[in-house]
Amino acid sequence: MSQLTKLKMTNSFTNFRSILTTLRKPKYFLLIIFPLGLIIGTFLPGISRSLNDLGFTLIQLISYPAIPLVLTAVIISVYSILTLDKSNKNNFFARKLILSLIIFTFVASILALALSLYQKPGILSPDGKVSIGKFMLDITDINLTVFSSDIADPLANNTSWLQSVIPSNILSDAANSNTLKVISGSLLAGYGLSIIPQDVSKPLVSLLRSINSLSVKILDELLLLSPILLICLIAGAITSINTEIIIALLNVTICILVSAVACLGISRLIIKRYTSKEEKKLLETNPADSVFIVGLSTGSSMACYPTITNTLKFIGRASSQVEASTSLSLLISRLGNVVYNVIAIVFALNLYEVRLSPLVLIQIIILGVVTGISSAGLNGVAVVPTIAIALMFFQVPAPPILLLLLAIDPIMTLPRAAISGVMALCISVISSNESVVEAG
Amino acid sequence: MKFFYLLRNFIFIFFLFFLFQLNQKVYAAENIYIDKIIQRGYLNVGLPPYTTPPFYYLDPKDKKLKGYDIDIIEGFAKEIGVRVVFDRDSTSFNNLVKRSGAGDFDMAIGKLGTTFKRMSDAHPHEYMNFRHALLSNRKFVNSLGVAPDNPNYGNELLNSSMKIGFIDRSAYDTYANSLFSNAEKIGYKNWAECKNALLKGKVDAIYRDATEIKKIVYQKPNLSIEYVPILFDDIIDQKSIFLSTEANTYLSDILDYYLKRKEIKTDSEIMKDYSSFYEPIN
Repeated sequence: MSQLTKLKMTNSFTNFRSILTTLRKPKYFLLIIFPLGLIIGTFLPGISRSLNDLGFTLIQLISYPAIPLVLTAVIISVYSILTLDKSNKNNFFARKLILSLIIFTFVASILALALSLYQKPGILSPDGKVSIGKFMLDITDINLTVFSSDIADPLANNTSWLQSVIPSNILSDAANSNTLKVISGSLLAGYGLSIIPQDVSKPLVSLLRSINSLSVKILDELLLLSPILLICLIAGAITSINTEIIIALLNVTICILVSAVACLGISRLIIKRYTSKEEKKLLETNPADSVFIVGLSTGSSMACYPTITNTLKFIGRASSQVEASTSLSLLISRLGNVVYNVIAIVFALNLYEVRLSPLVLIQIIILGVVTGISSAGLNGVAVVPTIAIALMFFQVPAPPILLLLLAIDPIMTLPRAAISGVMALCISVISSNESVVEAG
Repeated sequence: MKFFYLLRNFIFIFFLFFLFQLNQKVYAAENIYIDKIIQRGYLNVGLPPYTTPPFYYLDPKDKKLKGYDIDIIEGFAKEIGVRVVFDRDSTSFNNLVKRSGAGDFDMAIGKLGTTFKRMSDAHPHEYMNFRHALLSNRKFVNSLGVAPDNPNYGNELLNSSMKIGFIDRSAYDTYANSLFSNAEKIGYKNWAECKNALLKGKVDAIYRDATEIKKIVYQKPNLSIEYVPILFDDIIDQKSIFLSTEANTYLSDILDYYLKRKEIKTDSEIMKDYSSFYEPIN
């Protein structure tokens, strides 16, 4: 291969890369990506199905560095929090982090509740009820085999739930992509690392940081594909989702999209309020926008991790604090799921005409928070069934609600990830500070 | 000459009479019961006093009885070479079977379920095979505290103390008493009253075969939000034509031969073949 050809190829790759980087900006998302996805999905359904498959393949590719990222981020975070507390008594980072996690969780759930009370998801027109009813026909039927069924062990379900949380072997859990086990295993590993002597832990922490940096870098590079991914997903969603259902559930969809925009607004304000003049000078644009777009275009809140950490490190925030706060808020306190679950619970209660008394509203907030947090480690459609716990509490039938939510989940997963991303940015901005002593 | 002329005419008349007698022998059946039907000129069939489309109903256009059951029995009558006269004076499904057993008509049809009690009244001949089904309020389903996909759900449901509605003195009256031992069982005059009771919250579920249960939600899909069909895949309602002992002695073979040539329809097949009856109505 001649030198000229090599140069041409390098230039082409650089140009392609810069186009993809440019397309990740919010205005291009609104002006090019979203309309293009809609047009392809509407007018070229045959191609859209192939694009949908390509979209899911790209998601698989983007998810590839997720497990090592989660593993290392959680271990380093826990280690950082526990060692920071020991090394600097005056540092309130851990307390600030926990407090801001709690405050943001409840603020997000109250915001979601207020929006859903205003938007009234689940209160349907007669036509809407017919559309939903038609969608439910046959799918929600209960088929029983009474005399030939095996009697289940009542303890089996509890055991399997516990088994899904308790780590068995951190490496095999990571290899099998058992995110929940990886998180719990990493929490334990982080704790273990913090109680061993620093001269023993230091090389390990250094190795973990290297793996973390590598994962972040790979993820960052793969995220260049997010504009293509988004076009594929929007086109695929338009073709595959029953439009009648989207119209019938328009209130839920709008409510979640408005919540996402409201969260973006809140995060923009918080970044302005909690960054110094010097930090603002370093930022060309508000980082909330780019985090929001990354979440929205990938449907993965974890994909926001590199953008958040890189931005905050760039403006001079302590990297250990940034990593700790970002990973904890993205992995455990996933506010996108909390907001989504609150709206979904209100939708279910409205659909089954449950009166929303003040006590019920408080219960909605608590259950929204609990079920949202319990979805830690779950992604995409796997988040939806966590709402069943709340529905059971309110004695509202879970299967039809879950079925409806699953039907529109390919769209809902995008704003959910965007909310988790921007709220994690807020928590990191508030809890991290510039002048902390680095741990490890 | 005149004598020969008279003899020739006598022989001709005798020959014609002989031929007529011979002809009469051809149209008479050796099976005395069928012969009785042929002599009568029609098959006397008992039909429930209700309207159950697509099985038996009055066509609003020509006011004639139509439906799958009507086609089955008219097809059988055609094979014998007679028409069908329906008797719709029975007061209930059970009464219809009892009357059939007593010989009030040649046979009874009308989506009649088979039970041990009915088998002691008349002789059943299977022609359809439907799953038992409930249309239940979703809140009741939820209140059982066991997820429907749990293998124990069926037993929980059968042993629950739900309020269950069905048509009084129907096969489902009998089935409910044997299957739902702890349930509060309420019999209603007809299916419309059963549906009304469910919609008004007087009962937790109504009980009949899958074709009737699914029809409710197919015709009014918005009901799917609040109500759910529960289909018992292994509890089958065998739908039969019922005959008295006398009729069964003489008609059993020919009826079974006829039904064997027709396939035994399942609820899914009926809902597919008669899909226009399972569409939303305004």
